[in-house]
Amino acid sequence: MLTNPIELINLTVEFDQGFICKNINWKVEPGQHWLICGSNGSGKSALAAILSSTGSILSGETSNLPDRVGIVSFEAQAELIEAERRKDDADILDVISEGTPVSEIIDDVCCDQPLAKRLSQLFGIDHLTDRAFRKLSTGESRKVMLIRALTSNPELLILDEPFEGLDVNSLAALQEHLTEISAKIPVILVLNRIDQCPQFVSHVAYMETGELAHQVARENSADYDQLMQLLHLKQDDLTVPPADPQSTLPELDRTQPLVRLTNTQIKYTDTIIFDQLDWTINRGEHWQLTGPNGSGKTALLSLIIGDHPQCYVNDIYVFGFQRGSGESIWQIKQFIGYVSTALQWEYTVGTSLRNVIISGFYDSIGLYSKYTDAERDIANQWLVLLGMKDRADDPFNRQSYGDQRLLLIARAMVKHPPLLILDEPCLGLDDMNRQRVLSLIEIICASSESTVLYVNHHAEDKINGIDHYLDLGERGPY
Amino acid sequence: MSNNYFNTLSLREQLEQLGKCRFMHLDEFTDGTSALKGKKMVVIGCGAQGLNQGLNLRDSGLDVSYTLRAQAIAEKRQSWKNATENGFTVGTYEELIPTADVVLNLTPDKQHTAVVNTVMPLMKKGACLSYSHGFNIVEEGMKIRDDLTVIMVAPKCPGSEVRAEYVRGFGVPTLIAVHENNDPNGEGLALAKAYAVGTGGHKAGVLMSSFIAEVKSDLMGEQTILCGMLQTGSLLCFDKMIEEGVDAGYASKLIQYGWETVTEALKYGGVTNMMDRLSNPAKIKAFDLCEEMKDIMRTLYHKHQDDIMTGTFSATMMADWANDDKELLGWRADTAETAYEKTPAGDVEISEQEYFDNGILMVAMVKAGVELAFETMTSAGIIADSAYYESLHETPLIANTIARKKLYEMNSTISDTAEYGCYLYNHACVPLLGDFMKKVHSDVIGKGLQLDDNGVDNARLIEVNEAIRNHPVEAIGATLRGYMSDMKKIV
Repeated sequence: MLTNPIELINLTVEFDQGFICKNINWKVEPGQHWLICGSNGSGKSALAAILSSTGSILSGETSNLPDRVGIVSFEAQAELIEAERRKDDADILDVISEGTPVSEIIDDVCCDQPLAKRLSQLFGIDHLTDRAFRKLSTGESRKVMLIRALTSNPELLILDEPFEGLDVNSLAALQEHLTEISAKIPVILVLNRIDQCPQFVSHVAYMETGELAHQVARENSADYDQLMQLLHLKQDDLTVPPADPQSTLPELDRTQPLVRLTNTQIKYTDTIIFDQLDWTINRGEHWQLTGPNGSGKTALLSLIIGDHPQCYVNDIYVFGFQRGSGESIWQIKQFIGYVSTALQWEYTVGTSLRNVIISGFYDSIGLYSKYTDAERDIANQWLVLLGMKDRADDPFNRQSYGDQRLLLIARAMVKHPPLLILDEPCLGLDDMNRQRVLSLIEIICASSESTVLYVNHHAEDKINGIDHYLDLGERGPY
Repeated sequence: MSNNYFNTLSLREQLEQLGKCRFMHLDEFTDGTSALKGKKMVVIGCGAQGLNQGLNLRDSGLDVSYTLRAQAIAEKRQSWKNATENGFTVGTYEELIPTADVVLNLTPDKQHTAVVNTVMPLMKKGACLSYSHGFNIVEEGMKIRDDLTVIMVAPKCPGSEVRAEYVRGFGVPTLIAVHENNDPNGEGLALAKAYAVGTGGHKAGVLMSSFIAEVKSDLMGEQTILCGMLQTGSLLCFDKMIEEGVDAGYASKLIQYGWETVTEALKYGGVTNMMDRLSNPAKIKAFDLCEEMKDIMRTLYHKHQDDIMTGTFSATMMADWANDDKELLGWRADTAETAYEKTPAGDVEISEQEYFDNGILMVAMVKAGVELAFETMTSAGIIADSAYYESLHETPLIANTIARKKLYEMNSTISDTAEYGCYLYNHACVPLLGDFMKKVHSDVIGKGLQLDDNGVDNARLIEVNEAIRNHPVEAIGATLRGYMSDMKKIV
C-alpha cells in the first residue's frame, strides 16, 4: 500500500525508441486513481511507464517510485510473447518446442494463488492452465497478463488499455474486481476510450506531444467537462486514396462466392476450437464476426487467409481456388487486405512508414521488391490522410502502438482488395482515430470494390453497411 | 567402414568439384516451382528443418507429405504430432516412399546411412532423392541407385527462420547442388531450383555448388571459426579475466553475450565494420593481437583443412560413432566442468559499446578465425563465395546460440560433425595459445584500455585500416551482402 505520494518533479525522460516526455510535474497521492488520456502518440503509455522506473532520466527528480508495480500493457504483453519466442529453441535444436504453460507464466510472479484461481474462472480461462502461453489467442494472453499483474501483490497497478480485446463477460468481471481493490491499491489507467473510464477514477491527466498538458480532479466538474470536450474532436472529411490503376490483379468469377467453407473444423490433439462450420461470403455481403475470447475468431480468419496450416485439410474454396489443389499462398493473399493484433506483433522489421504501406501491394512483411512510382504516390496519399507525411521515412518500429496500428490499417486498404479483413482494427486507437477508421470502413463498404469482414467486441462500434453477422459464441449465421 | 567418395576422384576432378560455386541471379528462377508441380514430395523427418521446409513447399502449391518410422507413428511421437497437427498426411516408409517422385531426407547426418539404406529399395524408378547436407554421399561414400536423381538443397539458416522469412514474403540464402554421378535424366538442376523457389530461397540468394564443395567447406567452417574458435576463446578469455581480478559474473556475461554483440557488427558490415566499432587505439591493438594469433594458429587451420580433404577427419569421427560416441560424450562432459560454464552471467548492465571496448581480444579472435578459415579454404580450392558463407556469414548464428545456451548446450545442439570437430580444434588450440595468453592482460579483455588520450599515429592507422579493408573476405563479403540488400531493403 502506498503511504507517501509519488512525485515527478521537472522530469524529462527518454525512452528506448527515442520518445521523450518533457518537464513532467505530477503528484500521485495515496488514495488517488488516475486516468491518463491523449491522442495516439502523445505519450500516455510513456507517462505511465515512468512510474515503473522505465526510461532514462535526462533531468529532474522522482520520489517514492514504488518497487512492486503490476503492469498490463501491449508493450509488456509483446515483450512476454517475444521472450517466449526467444525461449523456443526450435531453430537450434531441430525440435519443435511446446513453450511455457500458462500456469508457470502466472506462478512466476503470483503471490496469491486463490485469487489467481478465482480470476482465471471469472475470465473463463481456467481450462487453459496447461496450454502453452504462446498458443493462446490475443484475448486469452491478455487475461493472463491481467492475472499476473493483479496477483503480484503490487503497490501500484498500471493498466494500459486493460479493457481492449476483452469479451463482455470478462470486461464486467475485471471492472468489478478493480472497483473492489481500488480501496487498497492505487490504479493508473491508460485509456483511449473515455467512455470506459471506471467510476473510481479520481483524476485525469491529459498528454500532448510528450507533455502533461492538463491535470484535472474529477470533482472539479467544470474543468473535467471541458477536458472531455477536448477529447471529442470533430472529424474531418475523409476520402480514401485511389487503387493502383496499373494493378494486375486477376479478374474473379462474379458468379462464384468469394469464400465458401463447408463443414470446417480446427482441431488439435487435445482440443477442438470449432467444428461443423459452414460459411459463405458472397461479393458485396459485408460481415461482422463476433464471439468470446478463444472462440476461434482469429483461427477462422486464418483459415480463409491461408495462415492456418489446417486450411489444407478442410473444404475451403476461396477466390476461385479449392485449397490444396496446387495453388500458392500468394495467389490467395493477393485478393486480401488484412489487419490484426497478431500481424502487428509479426511486423517487427525495421522499415519506413511509407514502405509499410507499400508492402500492402505485395502482401509482405517488410518490402522485398522494387515498387512503382504509382504505388509510392498512393502510399504518400495515405500518409497525408493519417497525418504522418512528415514522418514518411521514419522507422516503423519506433512508432507508438496506435500509430503502428493506423499504418497497418492503411496497408490493408491500400490495394482496395476484393476482401478486406479487419480483426479488431481499432484496438489501441484513441477516440478520434477510432471514429476516423470506422468512417473509412463505412466508405469502403459503400463502394463496390471491397467486401468487408469485420471482427470486434464492442457492440457500440457499429458500421453502417454491415448487415451479415456470425457469432461464434452462439454459432450459426443469422 | 565406408568408402570416401572424394578420395575415389582424380585430383583434376577433385579440384573441379571443389571449385564449383556460383551466385545465381533472380532471373534464373523464372520457371518457379513448375519442375515440381504435380509431383509427390515425401519428407523423411519432421524436426524443425523438416516441418518448416514442408510448410513452405506446401504454401508454394506443392504436394508434401511426411514419412516416419512405424514406431514413431504408433507411439504418436512429437514428430508425428508436428506433421498431423499441421494437416499433413503421415505414413510409414512402406506406404509413402513408393509413391514419391521426390524424397527429402531431412534427418540428422548420423542417421543418413541407415535411413537411405532403408528407403532406397522402396523408391520408384527415376525418382529423386534430396539431401540438405552432403556428408553421407561425400564422406561415407553412399552409393545411390543409378536410376535415381540426387540433389542437395540446403537453406543456410535454422528451420524456424526458414519459415518466418517465407511468411514475410522473403526467404533465406540457400545452397543447391546436383550429384553428377546421379543425374540420369539431366533434370537435377531444374528440380533443385524449383525446390529452392518452393522454400522462398531464391528471393534471398541461391549459391550453386557441388556436394563436395559443400561438405569440405561446411566441415572446415564449423570446426574452426564457428564453434572451435568461439569455444576456445570463451575458455581462455574467461580464465584470463579471473586471473586478472575481473568479477566472475561480469566476465561470464561479457563472454556469453559478447560474441553475439561483436558478430552482429560483422553480419552487417564485415570485419571492417566490426573493427570500426573499436576506438582507434583499440583497433590497432586488436589488429596486432590478431596478426600474432594468426601466425600461431595458421598451421592448425591448415591441419584441419588437410584432415578434412583426406578424409582423416570423417574417418576418425565415424570410428567414434561406431564406439558409441565415447570421445564425444567425454568431451561434452568436460565442457560442463569448465570454470566459464559453471559461472552464471552476473546481474550487471553491459552496454552494447562496452562489449567492444572491454572485449578487444574477443574481436581480435573473431577476426583471426574468420580470416584464417577463409584463407585456408580458398587456398584449398574452395571458391570465395562458399568460403564466405561457411565462415563469416554463419559466425553470428553460433554466437547467438552461445548467448542463449553457453557452451555445453551449444555443443549439444549443433550437428554431430560440428561438435566433434569443435573438440578437436579446442584441444589443439588451447595449448597452442598458451604462451600468447600469458602476455595479455585485462586491458584487452575485461577492463578496456582506459587511456586518457585516444590519439594514434596517422600513418599507422592508415596502414591498419588498409590491411583490414583489403583482406579478400571483405571484397567478396561486400559483393554478397550487396546482392542480399538489393533484394532485402529492410535494414
